[in-house]
Amino acid sequence: MSHEHIAAAFDRDLERIQALVMKMGGLAEAALNDAAMALEARDGELAAQVRAGDATLDALEEEINVECARLIALRAPTAGDLRTILTVMKVAAALERCGDYAKNLAKRSLVLADLPRVEGAAGSIRRMARQVGQLLRDALDAYARRDADLAREVRARDEEVDQMYGALFREFVTHMMADPRLISPCLHLHFIAKNIERVGDHATGIAEQVIYLVSGMLPDEVRRKDEGATLGQPGRGV
Amino acid sequence: MQTPSKISAQGVNVHYGTTQALKDVSVEIAPATVTAFIGPSGCGKSTFLRCLNRMNDTIAGCRVQGRITLDGQDIYAPSVDPVQLRAQVGMVFQKPNPFPKSIYENVAYGPRIHGLARGRVELDEIVEKSLRRAALWGEVKDRLDAPGTGLSGGQQQRLCIARAIATAPEVLLMDEPCSALDPIATAQVEELIDELRATFAVVIVTHSMQQAARVSQKTAFFHLGSLVEFGETGQIFTTPRDPRTESYITGRIG
Repeated sequence: MSHEHIAAAFDRDLERIQALVMKMGGLAEAALNDAAMALEARDGELAAQVRAGDATLDALEEEINVECARLIALRAPTAGDLRTILTVMKVAAALERCGDYAKNLAKRSLVLADLPRVEGAAGSIRRMARQVGQLLRDALDAYARRDADLAREVRARDEEVDQMYGALFREFVTHMMADPRLISPCLHLHFIAKNIERVGDHATGIAEQVIYLVSGMLPDEVRRKDEGATLGQPGRGV
Repeated sequence: MQTPSKISAQGVNVHYGTTQALKDVSVEIAPATVTAFIGPSGCGKSTFLRCLNRMNDTIAGCRVQGRITLDGQDIYAPSVDPVQLRAQVGMVFQKPNPFPKSIYENVAYGPRIHGLARGRVELDEIVEKSLRRAALWGEVKDRLDAPGTGLSGGQQQRLCIARAIATAPEVLLMDEPCSALDPIATAQVEELIDELRATFAVVIVTHSMQQAARVSQKTAFFHLGSLVEFGETGQIFTTPRDPRTESYITGRIG
């Protein structure tokens, strides 16, 4: 099958929206990384940059939505073209949410800068953010290359993130029990960890979109979540 | 249990002289369903459509091989009268082609020659019913004696549909029925096709992919005389299985 449309303008439009998605992906990933770095280094300036940068992601998502609506109206896309546009919209929405989580992380890092330090916590958050950033990068690589195998791998690896979150959760509970002065910073840190874990879920969602884009079907086996890891304590809801 | 097919075609090959126009085509046409045939010009979709009511019989040098059955009866059997067959398997063409007669006579002609009406009252009933079903009655009921050719293009096509359904066919074949119509008339004909589906199996050949997507439940994609893919219309337009189908419906060079 030839990959080029008879209408070359259609190809250009499809390429453009996909380039916008990749741009969003790069920004979201950097925002997450920078926010975690700002937290660890107590760098208020970097945190402020992350907060301000979120507006760019929001604007890009808006632009993608407008462009997709235009393509649907004017080109009546079908088959692979239709799936491309549908997935572009979903991936853009996921990345916009990731940007929000990074922004929230940055905001909390500013608050945490005035609170007592929780030993080892910033480093753990930073490692988790790096792991999730890699997951997001791989999900987007899978998207760019239409690589369903890599997408399936990303889905499987989200489990590791869930486990990291579970470990952090237990760590924070221990700190809070040992020293009530750490309750406030630990609650902020817990929200941060939860939000990073959510970014991992969005990376998984993007991976699932890749599988749909390539095969026309969503993965049928629902990934079995380790409830214990997600909820911190096995068998007890939080 | 699966509903038996209205029309079943098995291993159909068609030659025009030495040129092979259709290669081993097998399709099941379901009752009360709109089936769309799509494909580039010269792919064989119209040729195949014409096999279903033996319109190819009239073309010199055309040979049809294979088996086509209507309700299990071989339509190419020597005992079958092609004229009778065409009353059961009606056809509407690309260009509206009303007879140069009155609107009434256009619709009454088929039932009369096939002896479907006993007397004028019954014939009047058939004409009215057919025109109503073709969504034309309201526009022509006061001028049934006016010539059919004096109607607008969209009205003429609906008149041809009324004419085709007046003989109470079981299957309606439509060869690009909207290609000469404006968008409003097209929408009216498409709406009509959807209503006719309650009673007939409808088979439509169309160059408009969007039309196939709008009106049909099943879609068959033809390419170079072969049936490439046949499936649910929704599936064909979202996740075609064959790369040639994908190329064609997405407008890529196939």
